[in-house]
Amino acid sequence: MPPVIAVRQLSKNYGEIAAVRDVGFDVAPGEIFGLLGPNGAGKTTTIECLTGLREADTGELTICGLDGRRQRNEVKQRLGVALQSTALPDTITPREALRLFGAFYRRHAGADELLERFDLVDRAGARYHTLSGGERQRLALALAFVNRPEAVLLDEPTAGLDPKARHELRGQIARMKTGGCAVLLTTHDLDEAGELCDRVAIIDHGRIVATGAPRELVARPAALQSVVLLTAPPLAAETVARLPGVSDLACDGGTARFRTSDAAATLAALADCLATQGGEIVDLHVRKATLTEIFLELTGDGNRKESGERAP
Amino acid sequence: MKGLGRHLATALRLHFRNRMALIYGYLFPLIFLAAFWVLFRHEPVPLLRHAGELLTIGVLGGACFGLPTTMVGERERGLWRRYRLTPVPAWALVASTVVARYLLLVSAGALQLAVALALGMTAPAHPLALAAAFTMVAFAFIGLGLVIAMMADNVPAVQALGQCIFLPMLIIGGVAVPLASLPPWAQRLSAFFPGRYAVEALQAAVSGGGLGTVRFSLAALGVIGAAGCVTGARLFRWDAAQRFAGRHQLAWLLPVLGAWCAVGLLAESRGHVSVAPGAVVDVPPSPWEQLTPDDTAALDFHVPRDDGVVAPIARDGDEPDDYLVAQLDDARRRLPAWPPGLVRDPVQRVRNLLCVAAVADVAQQPAENYLPRIVLVRLLDNYPKATLVKILTWIAQHPGEGTMIDDISDIGVPARAEDPGMVRDRVYLYAIKFVARLTGSPVRQ
Repeated sequence: MPPVIAVRQLSKNYGEIAAVRDVGFDVAPGEIFGLLGPNGAGKTTTIECLTGLREADTGELTICGLDGRRQRNEVKQRLGVALQSTALPDTITPREALRLFGAFYRRHAGADELLERFDLVDRAGARYHTLSGGERQRLALALAFVNRPEAVLLDEPTAGLDPKARHELRGQIARMKTGGCAVLLTTHDLDEAGELCDRVAIIDHGRIVATGAPRELVARPAALQSVVLLTAPPLAAETVARLPGVSDLACDGGTARFRTSDAAATLAALADCLATQGGEIVDLHVRKATLTEIFLELTGDGNRKESGERAP
Repeated sequence: MKGLGRHLATALRLHFRNRMALIYGYLFPLIFLAAFWVLFRHEPVPLLRHAGELLTIGVLGGACFGLPTTMVGERERGLWRRYRLTPVPAWALVASTVVARYLLLVSAGALQLAVALALGMTAPAHPLALAAAFTMVAFAFIGLGLVIAMMADNVPAVQALGQCIFLPMLIIGGVAVPLASLPPWAQRLSAFFPGRYAVEALQAAVSGGGLGTVRFSLAALGVIGAAGCVTGARLFRWDAAQRFAGRHQLAWLLPVLGAWCAVGLLAESRGHVSVAPGAVVDVPPSPWEQLTPDDTAALDFHVPRDDGVVAPIARDGDEPDDYLVAQLDDARRRLPAWPPGLVRDPVQRVRNLLCVAAVADVAQQPAENYLPRIVLVRLLDNYPKATLVKILTWIAQHPGEGTMIDDISDIGVPARAEDPGMVRDRVYLYAIKFVARLTGSPVRQ
């Protein structure tokens, strides 16, 4: 089945700053694809190029089988978007907003249907300025679905929400793919990506540095595993550091914490070492890398400056 | 089209939910109307000469403040950025916003007219022409509003830019201050402001010769409006993050400035600038206003002596008896708020005040000698001497006109006249006597 969203070699510069460089990915029907990256990595620019808010410098954008750069209006008919922040007029009600935006499209869903789907029935007649952050964001999602889209772009949809609202919204996003809708979402919340996304791409300095299902990323050969080791008597730090594959070693009392690129080889060498020196293992934990650790490993821990994310 | 209809309806609905917008859009023009009504209370037909000015102020405020405030506010909130994600083109959304504003301006203008009619203004002479002139004025100022909306990066900037246009237009642009009262340099400068043409076009439709007499003004409004729309379209911005700063953007202000200058220079070259006092409005003066000193001199100054029993007036040095002082002070205090002394028709107002003296005389009230002096002071508080002489002359020339008052107890003087005919005679006599005092004409007993 052809992808609903296909991005090839997308590049966008803001003067001297390369915000996005040769980015490429596909999103299949019924798939939730996450674009992960630190602030300023190029996520929002990628979304804005796809929506037409910004003109890409080079690259191909295919959305719903249409040329995303030349058939812009037709793409808009089929694409749903929820931006990082959508502020509607203070006095408009959710029902009025859905009717207003619905009237802009050839094909549109009924306001009542969307109010029910996004759990806004009780607040249908409330003025926008009285809605909570979670309700506003649910309304933004409902607006993204007002044209019964084939693809939906969500730019950090849960940013700034309290845990309860975030949990509710994730439920709404998870249900989006049931109708075959392709969902592309950006986030820097790795739990969210792990929970929601079928596949993710990690973007850093405008480039995609890894792509795959969250499980594949944490299980990939290059992913480091974490080890916590307590022996009696304690091993010297230099001894642990000499074990194969060990990095990021920290010793605290008798406990050694480190990461290894080859857990089997490290543990075999550890057993040999203890047998030679006459020690024994008191406690040992080996854990696969989390998505967060993969993310930090690939992107470093520094956030980009915001100037790279948004145009000057 | 369905989307635009919905957008238009939503824009109107949201406007009526915005209390501040209602105050600015509807109450603000009515405050100007009330101020003009009070300011020009002596004119024979209330507000008729100022309908063009009042409607222009309403349109100017709604188009140069209301429209850009709405557009910039929505752009700042990110609403236009959200609209951009839909298939509706920018021009259609702007057009819908403009049409909504035009309808709001029409409703505010209709309210102004209704209140003016209720206050005594006569109906516009050319209603269809008024609708056409109003549309042209709205077009011109909405064009300016669009330019302001595209130049301003935020709502406070709208206020600053709007005031830069609004205040000069009011003061030296012929909108709030009549052109005839401006110095010659300001009258020449006013030709470069669209406000002047707006007032001329609207006033011609309300009380003048119709649109045929103001073709130049209508064309000027059309050119200024078109230039504003072109510049507004070229400078259009979806996003608050896009700032108005570039040199090429400033260059797009040239069509607007060029249109203002071209219209002003053309007006100068075609002789539209030298406006004679009163020529802006075409309201025929009241008959009494056309009286001349010769008419006054032709009055019959045969009247009874001031110290007689008919139409007496105390001499300047005479002081009332002690028991009358309090009553006269009371009358002097009450007279400025006495309703018959505040009626809009200046002739009837003067006649009513003359009745105070006349009724006291007919009823042989002890204060009869002193009340005429109080009445004359009150009359001079109301009108300049020359105007008062004309009105008194008119009353003396037409003693049978108007209505008479036969009871003045509500100013604290317990006096009632049984014979209205006698009151009318005394009013005539006091009119002659006052004219004689004001002009120095000798009376003959």
